[in-house]
Amino acid sequence: MSGFALRRAAQSLVVLLGVSLAVFALVHLVPGDPVRLALGTRFDQATYDALRERAGLDQPLPAQYLQWIGGAVRGDLGVSFRSGEPVTALILERLPATLSLALGSIVVALLIAVPLGTASALRPRSAVDGLGTVVSQIGISVPEFWMGIMLILLFAGTLGWFPAGGYVPFARDPAGWLHSLVLPAVTTGLVSGSVLTRFTRSSVLEALSAEHVRTARAKGLGPRAVLSWHVLRNAMLPLVTVTGVQLAYLLSGVVVVEIVFAWPGLGQLALQAVEARDYPLLQGAVLLFAVVFLLLNLGVDLLYGRLDPRIAA
Amino acid sequence: MRRRTLLSTLALSPVVVAGCTTGEGVDTGDGTGAEAGAGGGFVAAISAQPDQLDPHKTTAYASFQILENVYDTLVVPAEDLSMQPSLATSWTTSPDGLSWTFTLAEGVTFHDGSPFTADSVVFSFKRIIDQQLANASRFATVADVVAQDPTHVVLTLTSPTPNLLSRIGGFKGMAILPAGVDEATLATKAVGTGPFVLDSVSAGEVELTRFDQHWGERATLPGLSFQFITEPAAALTALQSDQVQWTDNVPPQQVEQLAGDDSVELGQVASVDYWYLAMNCAKAPFSDRDVRRAIATALDRQAITEAARFATARPNQTAIPEDSAWYYDYAPFTTDPDAAKALLEGAGVAGPLTMGLMVTSEYPETVTAAQVIASQLEPLGITVQIQTEDFATWLDRQSRGDFDAFLLGWLGNIDPADFYEDQHRTGGANNYQKYSSPVTDDLLDRAAVEPVEAARKALYDQAAKQIVDDVSYVYLYNPDAVQAWAPGLRGYTIRPDKAIDFDEVTLPA
Amino acid sequence: MSAPARPAAPPVRVRPERGRWRATLRLLLSSPPSLFAVLVLLAVVVVALFDEQIAPTGFNEVDVSDRLQPPGAGHWFGTDDLGRDVLSRVVLGAKVSLQVGTVAVGFSLVVGVLAGLLAGFYGRWIDAVLMRLMDVLFAFPAILLAIAVIAVLGPGTTNAMIAIGITYTPVFARVTRAAVLGVREQVFVRASRSVGASDARLLLRHVLPNALPPIIVQTSVSLAFAVLAEAALSFVGLGTQPPAPSWGRMLSEGRGYIDLAWWIAVFPGLAIVVLVLAFNLLGDGLRDVLDPQQRSALEAARHRPGRRRRAEVRR
Repeated sequence: MSGFALRRAAQSLVVLLGVSLAVFALVHLVPGDPVRLALGTRFDQATYDALRERAGLDQPLPAQYLQWIGGAVRGDLGVSFRSGEPVTALILERLPATLSLALGSIVVALLIAVPLGTASALRPRSAVDGLGTVVSQIGISVPEFWMGIMLILLFAGTLGWFPAGGYVPFARDPAGWLHSLVLPAVTTGLVSGSVLTRFTRSSVLEALSAEHVRTARAKGLGPRAVLSWHVLRNAMLPLVTVTGVQLAYLLSGVVVVEIVFAWPGLGQLALQAVEARDYPLLQGAVLLFAVVFLLLNLGVDLLYGRLDPRIAA
Repeated sequence: MRRRTLLSTLALSPVVVAGCTTGEGVDTGDGTGAEAGAGGGFVAAISAQPDQLDPHKTTAYASFQILENVYDTLVVPAEDLSMQPSLATSWTTSPDGLSWTFTLAEGVTFHDGSPFTADSVVFSFKRIIDQQLANASRFATVADVVAQDPTHVVLTLTSPTPNLLSRIGGFKGMAILPAGVDEATLATKAVGTGPFVLDSVSAGEVELTRFDQHWGERATLPGLSFQFITEPAAALTALQSDQVQWTDNVPPQQVEQLAGDDSVELGQVASVDYWYLAMNCAKAPFSDRDVRRAIATALDRQAITEAARFATARPNQTAIPEDSAWYYDYAPFTTDPDAAKALLEGAGVAGPLTMGLMVTSEYPETVTAAQVIASQLEPLGITVQIQTEDFATWLDRQSRGDFDAFLLGWLGNIDPADFYEDQHRTGGANNYQKYSSPVTDDLLDRAAVEPVEAARKALYDQAAKQIVDDVSYVYLYNPDAVQAWAPGLRGYTIRPDKAIDFDEVTLPA
Repeated sequence: MSAPARPAAPPVRVRPERGRWRATLRLLLSSPPSLFAVLVLLAVVVVALFDEQIAPTGFNEVDVSDRLQPPGAGHWFGTDDLGRDVLSRVVLGAKVSLQVGTVAVGFSLVVGVLAGLLAGFYGRWIDAVLMRLMDVLFAFPAILLAIAVIAVLGPGTTNAMIAIGITYTPVFARVTRAAVLGVREQVFVRASRSVGASDARLLLRHVLPNALPPIIVQTSVSLAFAVLAEAALSFVGLGTQPPAPSWGRMLSEGRGYIDLAWWIAVFPGLAIVVLVLAFNLLGDGLRDVLDPQQRSALEAARHRPGRRRRAEVRR
């Protein structure tokens, strides 16, 4: 591992520590007694005492933090204030739906971005380029949840091609899974695709202007030939890494889209936790998102470092 | 201790039962809409996840939807809501009305194989009473519960209680558990005598399997599952594509359209629920009866009802719906902004008035109705500040009396006492609005012990009139129960108390 | 995105004078998308300022008998489930969106720029502490961070502003810090320091003005995100509360009627798209004319693909 990689990893670790402190603080920043709030009318002393003890809320703060973070490292995120079930189990139960959606979205995004971005770069200022610019500009300005509603209106309502919501687990019915996935994945994919289209365009342009490509063109290769052999390879590697970053952003974009499509994923879980004042559950979900986010960013940066030694220098 | 927490949905409950909250917390939107059912091919989509499955502790309608099929009570409401034998086959009352003896069914077994006896009844009732669990107030007049012999239980009372049957059997909140059951596990496990056994509980669904040793008719289905689908659109799609076979998550605005839709069968029946506006009688200026009357006069109930429920509810100025034998036809208010203004001025409320109106996203119809009410009170110079709270906060503020006004409903009421007693008697368990009238108290007290039904009704009618005139509640409307199921499904009956029994259901061929 | 191939230090620039800003503005408006964006934003601001005069009805004029009317002569955008005029609510909702956007971004701007200035100017432990703090905030997906903040503060328009403000603070800190690092060691700054100018004077008179261009660009882009974030929070019920006319809230209310009355959800959605698009286009235009690297290219070629900073594509 290079010095850069080590430094970058160490930095991520520091940030991770900060993230864990921030997430831990969440439950303590709430005005009032979080257990009491979460129990609401279901309050009874025995449950209350058990939850407080389980959450370690009667110990001094540093001990609480150590206990919590120690558990988190081992995959134990405490128990839900609402259901008493382990938070980890609740999260794992929701993970497949969110992963399905994130992966489906990336596929849709790449299907849009690669052809459109490449075509735009090949003919700057052409009609295709203009279309690409308009599409991507509008794409990043449209709220995902509105896009989702419009897709439901058209494809679930008027045309009736896809269900308006609901998730079918892959293991239960692969065809149904795909069918249920189309609309939500297209919703988030369109937005990510807009960002990726811009990026593909500029990567390809940059690759086109690189020395060896200019040489190849000077040698008489047409733009198409140059594109396939020299450019795409150079342009796609950074694209892959940016896609990684997009995946991280997607994780956040899915929160609201999951609501629109009644998609039983982590975003929905996090919102339910907020509304139920189930702080351990919220902490677990937020921590997971942040860790995935950090890891993806770290991975992308390391990959950049390999691709472009100037960064690692 | 939460006594019936109010309102919410509960279901089946009589007396006030209302209590159920459909689960606290937010919308559980678990839209696992499209899963094929595991148990026996019958899947019921309900809109919320149960908070827990301990019948004596939960107040959530979602819990009772499931528990209805798992537990039994001594007596049970028939479709017309008259109380019928269940685990008790017959009963006698002493001449002074202070002692009730129940004869129990024999040969009944719990899901764990233990026999049902008088001890089970004593254990269950004493658990509720001694631990002051959710429905303890239903046993307010019960002095003692004694097992006379294995098949006879005697309830001794402190005062005659003509509605004792609906109090102890109105819904599954008074379910009978085996003596000595492990109470700590009841939130997620069930040991009942009902037609189905609770098999598995997860975040997305609950599965039941048939109990072959059931004391009554064996259930027709080998099993069934409940899935939680918060989004009505997703629930309907799932029904139409045969991923679920039953749902009560039907948006009111779609009822008309669904009535003509062959892909679903729609059931609609007047329910025993009611929704209302309450103002804080302990807080000026709402402590002034004329101010409350002004507001009651300014409101257009028809508009509120249509906005909140489209064509699936009827406005009512009292609590008890028209179809009930206890209905009292009384509607003193006609929408009249000028008269309302005069009342306000008479009460000395000159300047602009601000009224905080507490609603909850848990019941979106309260948010809808509040906006209509805000618009109707604006011409009066009353600015309504709508305060949308999550349900836990909402309940907390309610019980602390920290509100100007709130909107909510009570569900599953059967006996007139359910409708009025805890809500309007001075110091009543659910009298959060702090209404206090000696006249009303006296009428309610006399009605509670009046054994002759006609006389009882007359007393409750007078009490209702007093309550309406004093505007302890502004009653708004009685909603219908609306449910939809797969065409060709047989053996299911939609009921006014929204109890859902699936033991006789057969699937379409 | 590879590392910049150009020299790390931007060209030395003196504080821009009035004439320079005017030229910049002219350059900005000479680009059709930017001109479009400026006109749209002016229109939205005018609508928000005179909303009560423009809107045909109040924001909560319920008329249940007139519910779910399609767009037509009486109601250009139709009516919602309570019979309220959708056009009026869209018009009145502009103020909410702009208010939340500007207050939230104003918060991010003040806190983020201050942190960035201090971190960049003083370096060392101040830099380390402040920027790690920003890294921590930056490590959360944006909407989720806002939701977590609201979980603590409670729902509502004001708390949504705070939540969104916190969420977008780190971007400003990073952008400012990078710009400050670029000018800190430049001749005029060092000169002022050597003649004994105080730190505060140095920061405000010399460093900040030279760091302004990227901050201005980021402000426009962040306004776009803030409007989207407010809509998203209101959509899930954590932002603006009824009956106030928030576009996001109108979308969530219209969702249940989508097959009965498409107009309830369509028009507020379009309003969001138009406003966000305008902020995004303006951000692009500003970057083209303010970013010195891009600017020379622009002046030469009039058009060049822009390279986005990662922070800016975040939603």
